[in-house]
Amino acid sequence: MSMPATSKTNAPAQDYFAIFGLPRKLWMERDALEQKYLQLSWKLHPDNFVNATEEERERSLRRSSELNDAYRTLEDPVARVEYLLSLENMRKEGEHKQQAPPELLEEVFELNESLDELREAKSAGSDLASLKSRLESAEKNFGEKLGEVDAQLQVTAREWDDALDRNADDVARRKIMGRLNELLNRRSYVRNLVVNVAKELGEA
Amino acid sequence: MAYSDKVVEHYNNPRNVGSLPKEDPNVGTGLVGAPECGDVMKLQMKINPETQVIEEAKFKTFGCGSAIASSSLATEWVKGKTVEEALSIKNTDIVRELSLPPVKIHCSVLAEDAIKAAIGDWKKKHGIEVPVAEKVAH
Ligand code: FES
Repeated sequence: MSMPATSKTNAPAQDYFAIFGLPRKLWMERDALEQKYLQLSWKLHPDNFVNATEEERERSLRRSSELNDAYRTLEDPVARVEYLLSLENMRKEGEHKQQAPPELLEEVFELNESLDELREAKSAGSDLASLKSRLESAEKNFGEKLGEVDAQLQVTAREWDDALDRNADDVARRKIMGRLNELLNRRSYVRNLVVNVAKELGEA
Repeated sequence: MAYSDKVVEHYNNPRNVGSLPKEDPNVGTGLVGAPECGDVMKLQMKINPETQVIEEAKFKTFGCGSAIASSSLATEWVKGKTVEEALSIKNTDIVRELSLPPVKIHCSVLAEDAIKAAIGDWKKKHGIEVPVAEKVAH
């Protein structure tokens, strides 16, 4: 059996946007993405490869697992931004670490400390009702902060799409990506606080 | 996640938890964070301006067990060392000592960064130039 002309056996894996035939934009229609995902999955379904060669079957399996990764990543707006930045070499975990601005670290540290105080108060057996209400207000506060970050992330994502639309130069694009990166970092600190306070509340 | 015995030991008995007066001219404060996980670490040292020996070190870490163990170990290691000696501590030394698995390497990087940041802060207070390479090594 002859190989198709565009054999992908050795071709580098397509990036997630390309798999869906999408430009590297951050705004996506959820339903459309899902539709496309179902279509593509169906094409790669093992039932369609019953009579195929071993090689073709393997390739289709590989591609469908890629497709699943791609869908899971693009479907989540935050993971989508993260992925875009790593694709553009703006976010390398570990080796190229971005230190957050000192004000942010200070703020996060203080918030963590206040959470710690509540924890200590709890183990010292202080009045549970008042503790609970303090934890709840902390939860609200962190939740609001997370909401703010997400809102900013959305605005900046739109700026990115605009920049692509008007074919903005590299400098402009990098600037926007830098801001997206900062927002993602901030988000990860704030999310951590949200998770921690929820944990304390669960045990309170 | 299974932690090594040494990590567990530091985690259960962290050394030198606490803080030093931030405004003290002989105290350097390093506050660093890991965007990978959102953990933060503060490391402070009191440095003798004449001998440049680190006389005291304290830390407070809001993070995973490996980060707590790494910072606890870092405070133990820097005490009694000179500033230059402390700067030569690498995250890989911490990884080795605590047998950290690959997914926990960034926790040790945090400790190395904190040492550098604390010393950088102290140097700044004393008007000592901080070479660019030393500022943020990662
Ligand atoms: S998991 Fe982030 S510091 Fe350890």
